[in-house]
Amino acid sequence: MKDQRVTRIEDLPGPKSQGELEEMKMPYEEYCRKVFAPGQEKTKPESLKGIRWLSTTMYIFTPHSVANLAELGAECIKVEMPRMGDPMRHTSPFNECYLYPLHDSRPMTGTGLGFTNANPNEYYISMDYHVPEMKEAFYRLVKLSDGLTECYRPGTFDRWKQSYRYLQELNPRFIYVWGGGFGYGPKVFGGSYDILGQAHAGLASVTGFHEDFGGHCTKHSNWCIDWYSGTQITVAILAALYWRRKTGLGTMIEFSQVQAATRCLGYTVPLYGRFGIVRQRWGNWDTQLCVHGIILCGKSDYPDEPNPQLKYEARYAVVSAFNDPDFKELCAIIGRNDLWDQYKTLQQRVRPQAQIAIYKALEEWAADKTRSQVVKTLTDAGLLAMPVMNDKEVYECEHFRQRGTIRWLDDPVFGDVLIQSGYSCGLMSKTPRRVNWIWRPVGADNVKIYHEMLGYPMSKIEEWYEKNLI
Amino acid sequence: MCDIIWCKECDTVNYLDPYYFWNWEGKIKCAGCENVYYIYMIQGHMYKGPDKKPGEKPDILPVYADKPNDGYEQILPGTPGKTRPYNCLPRHIYLGRADMVKFSARGRPVRGWRPQPPSTGVAGSCGFTWDIQKLSPEVWQEYQEKIKKGEVGEW
Repeated sequence: MKDQRVTRIEDLPGPKSQGELEEMKMPYEEYCRKVFAPGQEKTKPESLKGIRWLSTTMYIFTPHSVANLAELGAECIKVEMPRMGDPMRHTSPFNECYLYPLHDSRPMTGTGLGFTNANPNEYYISMDYHVPEMKEAFYRLVKLSDGLTECYRPGTFDRWKQSYRYLQELNPRFIYVWGGGFGYGPKVFGGSYDILGQAHAGLASVTGFHEDFGGHCTKHSNWCIDWYSGTQITVAILAALYWRRKTGLGTMIEFSQVQAATRCLGYTVPLYGRFGIVRQRWGNWDTQLCVHGIILCGKSDYPDEPNPQLKYEARYAVVSAFNDPDFKELCAIIGRNDLWDQYKTLQQRVRPQAQIAIYKALEEWAADKTRSQVVKTLTDAGLLAMPVMNDKEVYECEHFRQRGTIRWLDDPVFGDVLIQSGYSCGLMSKTPRRVNWIWRPVGADNVKIYHEMLGYPMSKIEEWYEKNLI
Repeated sequence: MCDIIWCKECDTVNYLDPYYFWNWEGKIKCAGCENVYYIYMIQGHMYKGPDKKPGEKPDILPVYADKPNDGYEQILPGTPGKTRPYNCLPRHIYLGRADMVKFSARGRPVRGWRPQPPSTGVAGSCGFTWDIQKLSPEVWQEYQEKIKKGEVGEW
């Protein structure tokens, strides 16, 4: 019992030890480098250690919801179809940048790099769980786990007697996630792809330049809505885990990908609700700010590179000078003071005709310059300008290296791979995310899970393997 | 994208493997009859054809075919004389050969070649580390030489 009359040093604000005192005296930059310390994450604890999660998922969207848990330290078991595995292993990219082996039965097939980041740190078992013979093993895994993420068409797991309705009878604390295209409703049978999420939610309709400028509605080249939706599921899972701490009960999370993508659209929906206005595409410019967009410069930064992505494409720069003094300065730099005379207020500048004239003048000025020259000239004048970087430049960017965003990982099975590490998802001082391995071959942990965890005899495992059940 | 050749004579839809045919010129035989069609694809688009070339020798068979007007009769991949087997082996888009590597861009070993030695475990299970020195001694040797030559970097 604490004596309230006594003031203890540990109750006072401020540093409690010499070490903490040193930390308090450090410059903030140095303090951040010390507490986050990329590369030291494996010396620190994992926040989700003790959580066990099943992943009966495919492609990127639902696997990524489990990948987030696995990077935070949960023990995740990826269940794949025997011999074949997750189709994402065979999906991309198409020019054989594959890592081998995939499975003993398929010596000439590997896993494509498209699988990266979606399933790190997981244990890989194979199981054809809709076969009655495997039901017992599946249910036993459920009893020993905290939750499951699945991605089958709505009702498929129900038909196989392994939906939330069935599993909560076995394990009332079980958290069950369904993730897919549409979910229940008029389009219940629709499957999902990232492009579908972008298109059906209306996101693609406001991406890209307007047709008046030769543009079309555009999807993002990468599957950004898959990654985004997967992360949204993880948020729901963490909330469900917290809810379970309070109530002791599991929950079901039903997550429609097309629904999630509507969230990215910001003011689009309320705008329609108030005025009936259907938002339009405005490409690399901004409807609210001008200048605040991407311009094309005349010369490449890499004129002699054989790679066309460098030779021709490294010509874009972000320019931002939307408040009045900045815009005035920009006009002076490009030698077009007439634009400043004409468009002295933001209200005047954001109008379409003004934007067309201003960006045209900017690109004319940049026509005989490289992207670096443009960025340097504008930055030296105190304006915000930044090159539109490509993969090579992201890789070489010192900022990303120091913060551990892009890292080389010596994967224990597959060797040297360059990845966006766990640090690309934000830094945590006490319990940082980490990537221990990128993935493992199909069924690589069959013995570990079926024999060592569930206790099935080796003869049973061999029998299942012979029958193609695992 | 998967392009098709719909043979109107035998009412068979021949499906062309999209990866193989991204950039391809040649003759393909209908799975339902003896007709041979010439096609020329550039980046997945049918640039020329399909043109009927009766009696000519085909270069390849379709990967899959069906007859949608005939109760969806399917001709699965690997049916002798009709379709070719589909081995699920994506190829290099131009050469038809795997672009296999032993070392990453910074010169360290990566398991990017095949076949690899089979796992020693039961039911496809395998250990947690790839002992490169033991399992791929020739690559290990090559790696040591790269280190000596200073071709292995940190970044």
